[in-house]
Amino acid sequence: MKKALALVLAIMMMLGCVSFASAEDAKIKLVVWSFTNELQGMIEKYYLPQHPELDIEFQIYPTDGNAYTTKVDNLLGVAEGAVSAEAPDVFTLEAAFVKHYVESDWTGDLKSIGFTDEELAGAFPVMAQIGQNAAGVQKGLSWQSTPGVLMYRASLAEKYLGVTSPEQFQEKVKDWDTFLETAEELKEKSEGAVKMVIGSGDIWNAYQYQRSQGWVVDGKLVIDDELLDFEELCKTLEQDDLTHKGGAWSEVWFAGMRGDEQTQTLCYFLPTWGLHYTLKPHCAEGADAPGLTEDDIKALSDEKGGTYGDWRLVDGPVAYSWGGTWMGINAQKAATWDDAKKAAVHDLIYNFSLNEDWLVQYAKDSGDFVGSATAVKTILDNGGTPNPFLGGQDHYAIFASAAALANGSLMSEYDDTINGLWNDYVTTPYTKGEKDLDTCLAEFKTAVAAAITTITVE
Amino acid sequence: MQAKTAAKTKHKSISYSKYGYFFIAPFFITFLIFGLYPILFTFKTSVTDAVGWEKVLNNNIIGFENFRQLFDPSSLVYSKFWGALGNTIIIWFFNFVPQLGLALILASWFTDSRLRLKAQGFFKVTIFMPNIITAATIGMLFMSFFAYPIGPVNTFIQTASISNAPVEYFRSVAWSRGLISFIQWWMWCGNTMIIMIAGISGINPSLFEAALVDGCTSRQTFWKITLPLIKPILVYNLTTSLVGGLTMFDIPHMMTQGNPNETTNTVARFIYMQGFTGSRNFNMASAASVVLFGIIIIGSLLIRYLLNDHDPKPAKAGKGGK
Repeated sequence: MKKALALVLAIMMMLGCVSFASAEDAKIKLVVWSFTNELQGMIEKYYLPQHPELDIEFQIYPTDGNAYTTKVDNLLGVAEGAVSAEAPDVFTLEAAFVKHYVESDWTGDLKSIGFTDEELAGAFPVMAQIGQNAAGVQKGLSWQSTPGVLMYRASLAEKYLGVTSPEQFQEKVKDWDTFLETAEELKEKSEGAVKMVIGSGDIWNAYQYQRSQGWVVDGKLVIDDELLDFEELCKTLEQDDLTHKGGAWSEVWFAGMRGDEQTQTLCYFLPTWGLHYTLKPHCAEGADAPGLTEDDIKALSDEKGGTYGDWRLVDGPVAYSWGGTWMGINAQKAATWDDAKKAAVHDLIYNFSLNEDWLVQYAKDSGDFVGSATAVKTILDNGGTPNPFLGGQDHYAIFASAAALANGSLMSEYDDTINGLWNDYVTTPYTKGEKDLDTCLAEFKTAVAAAITTITVE
Repeated sequence: MQAKTAAKTKHKSISYSKYGYFFIAPFFITFLIFGLYPILFTFKTSVTDAVGWEKVLNNNIIGFENFRQLFDPSSLVYSKFWGALGNTIIIWFFNFVPQLGLALILASWFTDSRLRLKAQGFFKVTIFMPNIITAATIGMLFMSFFAYPIGPVNTFIQTASISNAPVEYFRSVAWSRGLISFIQWWMWCGNTMIIMIAGISGINPSLFEAALVDGCTSRQTFWKITLPLIKPILVYNLTTSLVGGLTMFDIPHMMTQGNPNETTNTVARFIYMQGFTGSRNFNMASAASVVLFGIIIIGSLLIRYLLNDHDPKPAKAGKGGK
């Protein structure tokens, strides 16, 4: 008897679910995958309130240990998996692997869901280029752009180099030869106390944009001549004791940002996010505590002899980009979408990457440097953003010129692997004087050939 | 109630052993899906041209080409794979020898009725503690300890005037390998010790008492009674340690990324790099896994063979041995 009752109840519950689900059918269901909650936060705060017709399911997998890419690869690599309910409609792509996905068939052409050339023209070229495959099909769009600049300490520049304005300093670092000369001059004038950069590895993110061709051209590994110059530059920096010999993200890297006596450092190569999320929270001991306001950080820096207000931005030797997050669509699932869903996805991605009104508002709220050139222009026209951390300099103006100049076409799907191998097999052993360049290059080529069997290595 | 009793009496000869199968079924079902199937799949993938996720399921069988490359000195992966195996064995050796030695000493002290150590529980827990922390965490911890040019250890050696300049530990082969061995040793020593204590506790106490009465020294008791009687435990320990040591991945991957110059690249890391970076060479990664599987089986059999009794006792031989 009890069993029968339980069965009836169970059936009723199931029916209840079904009827509930059919009532929800009117909503457009979207699955969005990402590796941080940044996009989810933006959508929930700014977008969903205006779009009650959307039912968005968020999935967040961390990028640590490739968890995110493995999850995506596992599902999209199998035809049944790619169209399953679990699979994403929209997923975000990080700079480290965006090329891998836009070159694959798994990401869809954004024009297929209604993007027009006029709309796409609003994006910064460097971010648009990275979101394209080799054939120039636009598959990813970014809500931010991440141009990189050179950040230097005005007080040190004035004391040792007699430089009083960013324009003068730019002359001191206008290309890599001048950069090296300035480093030598700094060493001499400061008697070795102040170094140009923390480590030679610090300049890689910028220097790779100096190349005239990417790592792989027509299926062949290419070692651009600029890379050999890069090695010589790094070796000189290392051997002449022009750096603190530290790596990025190491303790000494942050110590230099704080301006500690032992690790005085003049220059950092950092992009947009590096200013707000790396440099500022480390301008003084304890400045990275959560919940500090701008004034708190300034007070803390004044009290502890930090570097708040001492930083200035210049273009540096080369315009580059570092980082970024692109939104892409799952091509296999997109093929099954009806027009309403295509329009909904188009509107979602458009809003966060190119919608000028929203981006201007978002930039004001967050201080982020957004991905649309037209939105940035509007912000600059509205009087810009003088930044007390930079002694009143307008970071938006400098970033805008770097964003307009950086060349995103050098990036390839192999960069993540090959950059790692280049550092392990060439830059580190060569600059530390452990091996000669030819040995390093030969070992590097073997390593690339063993890791990537789909390209030719000569 | 009555009906039940009747049924019981009726089938008095019923065997309850089938319920045992129900209890072990979850393990076997899980193992078949998540253990055996991936193993067989690896064997299959090792003879295909599966490069890239697209070809994991749609690939062609190309025979033993991948294995030929692993065993062909002129191929690209040959030196990397066998070099990695060499590194793994070196790191494992310097982890395992001190680990087993210390675990044995500690275990015999803890079980020695003459010593009667105080606060045994405290020491056992303290020694076992490193084992419950994730290996990746410890890898990160040591990485920041030995950071260059500024890190706790470098600051210490400079303030204590041991060295004038900071040492770049992770560019030194000996330091890098040594640290990995040390971490493995430090983490697993407690575990081995607990197993040894269990093994020694299983020995009949009257043997120790008899030895005591006969005037054995502690050392004699250890070599003549304890050690021979815990041989099965030793075999178990050596085998699990061999499997764990040859598949070592997390510490080298977190701490050194195989640097400097591939001298801390382990076989498991070679497999990972082949399968999950670059062009995703699943075929080569699978083939290397299969070869590693073979090496581990041979190693385990060798340990069994070397540590088992080989006394030519006809009675035992007749039973067919163990």
